Amino acid sequence: MPTSSWPTRKSRTLRENGIRLLLFLAAFSAVIVIFSIIYFLFQDAFPIFQKVGIIQFIAGMRWNPTGTPPLYGAFPLIVGTLLVTIGAMAIAIPLSLGSAIFISEIATPRLKAVIKPAIELLAGIPSVVFGFFGLIILTTWIQTTFNVPTGETWLAGSILLGIMAIPTITSVAEDAISSVPKEYKEGSLALGATRWQTIRRVLVPTAMSGITAAIILGIGRAIGETMAVLMVCGNPTYGLIPQPITNIFTPIKTLTATLGIEMGEVAAGSNHYYALFGLALILLIITLAVNILATVILGRLREKKAQITTKKHLFPQKTKTQMKQAVYLLIGLTLILLLFTAAGPLITILIVLILITAYYLNKRFTEKIKQRLAFFILGATIVTILIILGIILAYIIGNGLPALNIDFLTQGPTNLGRTGGIFPSIIGTLYLVAGAIAIALPLGVGAAIYLHEYTKEGTITKIIRAAADLLNGTPSIVFGLFGFAFFVLYLKLGFSLLAGQITLAFMILPTIIRTTEEALISIPNTIREGSLALGATKWQTTRNVVLPPAAPGILTGAILGIGRAAGETAPILFTAVVFSNYIPNSILQPVNALPYHLFTLATSVPGSQTNQAGTALVLLLLVIGFYLIAILLRSRYQKTTKW
Amino acid sequence: MSQHTTPPHRKNIGIVLLTLLLLTTLGVTMFSGCTQQQTQGTSIVLIGRDSASGTRDFFWTNVMGKTNFSQNLLEKNSNGAIQLTVAQTPGAIGYVGLGFIDATVKALPINNVAPTVAHVLDNTYPISRDLYMFTKGNATGAALEFILYIQSTEGQAIVQHEGFVPIQNTTHYSNAGKTLSGTLTLSGSTTVFPIAEKASTSFKTLYPNLQITVSPGGSGAGITAVSQGTVNIGMSSRNLQPSETTLGLVRYTIGKDGIAIIVNPQNTYVTGLTLTQIKAIYQGQITTWNQLQTT
Repeated sequence: MPTSSWPTRKSRTLRENGIRLLLFLAAFSAVIVIFSIIYFLFQDAFPIFQKVGIIQFIAGMRWNPTGTPPLYGAFPLIVGTLLVTIGAMAIAIPLSLGSAIFISEIATPRLKAVIKPAIELLAGIPSVVFGFFGLIILTTWIQTTFNVPTGETWLAGSILLGIMAIPTITSVAEDAISSVPKEYKEGSLALGATRWQTIRRVLVPTAMSGITAAIILGIGRAIGETMAVLMVCGNPTYGLIPQPITNIFTPIKTLTATLGIEMGEVAAGSNHYYALFGLALILLIITLAVNILATVILGRLREKKAQITTKKHLFPQKTKTQMKQAVYLLIGLTLILLLFTAAGPLITILIVLILITAYYLNKRFTEKIKQRLAFFILGATIVTILIILGIILAYIIGNGLPALNIDFLTQGPTNLGRTGGIFPSIIGTLYLVAGAIAIALPLGVGAAIYLHEYTKEGTITKIIRAAADLLNGTPSIVFGLFGFAFFVLYLKLGFSLLAGQITLAFMILPTIIRTTEEALISIPNTIREGSLALGATKWQTTRNVVLPPAAPGILTGAILGIGRAAGETAPILFTAVVFSNYIPNSILQPVNALPYHLFTLATSVPGSQTNQAGTALVLLLLVIGFYLIAILLRSRYQKTTKW
Repeated sequence: MSQHTTPPHRKNIGIVLLTLLLLTTLGVTMFSGCTQQQTQGTSIVLIGRDSASGTRDFFWTNVMGKTNFSQNLLEKNSNGAIQLTVAQTPGAIGYVGLGFIDATVKALPINNVAPTVAHVLDNTYPISRDLYMFTKGNATGAALEFILYIQSTEGQAIVQHEGFVPIQNTTHYSNAGKTLSGTLTLSGSTTVFPIAEKASTSFKTLYPNLQITVSPGGSGAGITAVSQGTVNIGMSSRNLQPSETTLGLVRYTIGKDGIAIIVNPQNTYVTGLTLTQIKAIYQGQITTWNQLQTT
């Protein structure tokens, strides 16, 4: 504490309090944003709930808002969203978990240094580029390979979403497995277990809650995804529940795709408009529930680490085993019966025989062979992911390179973008991103400083943190709808650069809060205490002692945010973009942006294939460039900083 | 390994076997659906516009007689998207404006009348409609000049060049003594979009100080945007709906368009359709191309 004889004491206290207030406001902005999103969605969804009734809206079997009579049944759309997500998880979970285990336990450091960036690269591919790839390659492949009428199906959506969820699940699951205490692993190995036995019996069970959280986060990402799904799922007009429910070759319509297609065309203030906000509200509630679940599980994991768990046994071990065996037998028989009805007796007998042989072979295999087999399978998951990444990159680079030249980068589009360049879109994207980061960086950094430096953990920090988590889980299309309702219509900004910038800023705010906080956490407390002990105020300490070494970490967060903002389409679709050959000279004018330009070319301008691929390549390079800078910065920072 | 450790081991194998069984069951049921479809002959894949589109509204009113579309209708968000999908999908059928016909798709004669500009002009082609621009109140300034330009001989040449049907008896546009600056914004119908985009490029050469933006989005979006003042001109391929007549919008006709029915070039089943057949197809009563041959 400074002594009272200091002449500047009063003004210093005043300034300190002023700064504290500003930081608090920055932190509280996350709460305000999430509340206004929920408020505006609810306000605009309310009329339709009033007119149709919530139950009828959710359980209605047909979505036909422009028919006579108009029908607002969201049920098939909800089912569509869930089915696509389930399919995506069936693809993403085995691949992600396999690669997470491989990265954390099997790969050599050198191999790790190749695989990890590759998977992060996958995270850097914008949704609309996935959609573009899916639309041109994947749907055609499905249509010809399986000889179905159209390739725009549930399967196509699930494959794309599965690939997109892989980076999220892999990185969180890998963290969980890596953070299992070393003693567990060493103890298991010392007892004579093989590496595979250690992984299977010790590491994975211990990391289970982290892995569960990873999967749930992946589910959240898949449910909220818009552009890719919109482009490859076919979108049957009334929403369609597959017949039978397992028919993956049925076109499907999801909540997000419905919003993406219909929002741009609907008359504001009509029942259809309110109904779309009703869908957005349902979507938001589903994703928020999923994200809260993940947060709770991760939170429990943190608590669990602190205490030793003692399991209580309700039944004696023997009864428990018998009960389990009975359940397994029951499930097994049901499945065989199902198989019998679906595939006929011959295939059923064949499959059962194969399974029985596998069972006996497994008993005969030594642990060493089992380990080799398991490692082979784990390696195969990594190879699969790398091949997928390779195919996507090869396609986009191979087709995009011929379009790339100086004129393409410096000229405006002509003939609806079939010829000419993409200069206005590049500039538009840069404008959007610059504005978004200019708004989000002060708010996010301020919030993180407030959370970590200025308060103790309590109710307020819990609320702010929860708000940031919720914001992080909010689907990008919901930001778009909110931006449209609030900035474009309510504040009368119209389709404008400003509306897009603020909407994007809100979207990347949680990323910046989180990465800044991580950077602050890594600064040891001793140097803060040293500064305070020398008589510096809180703010002087923060500004001169804490922030400089945290700067690279904060910068990494900012660049990750930039990358995300540059690649997103859904938030700007209804707030900022127009398809034009034009560079705005005021923030109240609309812009063209790379993701939107690509989306429009790929879905609306026949005969623009070369420029589509060229735009995709430029967008990809831009976003991946940002991510690459962030990754390099992070690894440099991690290597050089030692306390 | 001693025999005592086998029970938990066996339990794990049980789980693995069950998962495998589950996966194969799912796999088989999923793929059985696909083999069933193959035996039924070439299915028709219905492609249409989304529910707020002017083209869809017109098609629904004039071809479907306001009856429901089949639930298998796949929605696309623009005319171009329909054309792209039909070009990619062998069994597909779709409807687009005349301007979107090219070599990648096959446009079918309807009631034996080919979808051409000439047939729309002499009123023999059964499905055609006017294209509009709307302004809030009477058009003034740059909006008025732009609409006059599109309605002029020069503008109508663009309409025709884009494959649409021009207005007859037009006069030349002159910018003598006029200067325009500031911005002019248009949004709306994806059908009108190419016309407005091309016209804006040549209009800009007359008034270099004027900035023009044209964005597609659909007729509904254009009408909403112009009525709320977010754009100067709303483009539409349909007339105002009853709910929109009170918005104070003024209508300008800028051309005409026929709706063409397009199929994939590989499609050898049909060479032409009747309106009744089209209706039956889009209602979902005819689901395979073979069915169409026998009827």
